[in-house]
Amino acid sequence: MTNVFAPALSFLLQESGGGRLSLAWDKVQHPDLAKFLVIGALLFIIGVAGVLTRRNIIVIFMSVELILNAANLNFIAFSRYLQDTGNPNALAGQVFTVFIIVVAAAEAAIGLGIVIALYRNKETIWMDEIDLLKW
Amino acid sequence: MTLSGWEAVFCWVFSIAAILAGLLTVMARNAVHSALFLISTLLSVAALFILLGAEFIAGVQILVYVGGVMVLFLFVIMLVNVGAEERGATNIFNNSRQVGAGLIFCFLLVFGLLYAVGAGWQGLEERDKRKGVEAIAEQRLAQQQELATAATGTSKITTATERVGGSLYRYASLPFEIASVLLLVAIIGSVMLARTLKQEAAVDDVPREVLKEETQHEPELAEVVENEREVPPEKKK
Repeated sequence: MTNVFAPALSFLLQESGGGRLSLAWDKVQHPDLAKFLVIGALLFIIGVAGVLTRRNIIVIFMSVELILNAANLNFIAFSRYLQDTGNPNALAGQVFTVFIIVVAAAEAAIGLGIVIALYRNKETIWMDEIDLLKW
Repeated sequence: MTLSGWEAVFCWVFSIAAILAGLLTVMARNAVHSALFLISTLLSVAALFILLGAEFIAGVQILVYVGGVMVLFLFVIMLVNVGAEERGATNIFNNSRQVGAGLIFCFLLVFGLLYAVGAGWQGLEERDKRKGVEAIAEQRLAQQQELATAATGTSKITTATERVGGSLYRYASLPFEIASVLLLVAIIGSVMLARTLKQEAAVDDVPREVLKEETQHEPELAEVVENEREVPPEKKK
């Protein structure tokens, strides 16, 4: 059964004698703080790209949620790093993340309320058609 | 801090899933598909939180984001009309000049952030070496081995969640109260914003001239307005 996946997973698995496959721990890149920061940065940039390029205001809100989640991931990664380096106040990152989630929920509720009010008045959810303040 | 063994494998699986689903969130044509991809991103990030030892935050993420915020998003998507987008009749992205400028900015941001992470990480590693952090980490690992084993037999029961809860009510108690006020403001604000004209007219919250004009478009409003006219004399009593 494991042999079926062997070619695709050859970077993960290796022969360990007796024809059995086992995980190649040495070959797998071990994720450390820097890897998590890179993942967070990529999620953040995807979110920024969504905010800058999409026309649908609801998808723009979703991209903002992506950005907030990237920040959360950074906070949690740093919290774990500080825990492992023996910082007594390491859990502050997790506490801060709770507040970010609260703010994100409040922002989504208000933002979607605005979207509904806007849709009633202007019959559009396209960002480029919402230009009341432009002169 | 280094994840190893199966943790490393799952970490890569979930981070690739998070990034792919994030890309699809931004690129999906249908807003409902976007929302579903965003849900899978949020779940993958929650899995990363668990791998990083933040089980409480992972639970909050799933309950609040996936269970609350995303359901709100799906409701709003179904309230507004996105038919043209689904049929492919309209462009889902801004005009090409805006998209070009946005993407150039994003590429610059990629290089900037990756450079910053690399440079910062080098500095951090040097500082850790000077402080002898590895010895501390080994000490912590030894301490963790002494903790009670969880029911699965593979992980240890930690007190991290307990300490998060403790700090929420100790040194973070003022922000905690402010957050509750913020949520109250959000509730009241979204209820106010999402009222229909009829509901606004019923509580006499619309100027007379606007109401008169709107009544010509919507005959239903007239009933509300007439009901309202009967109310003031009662109020005087």
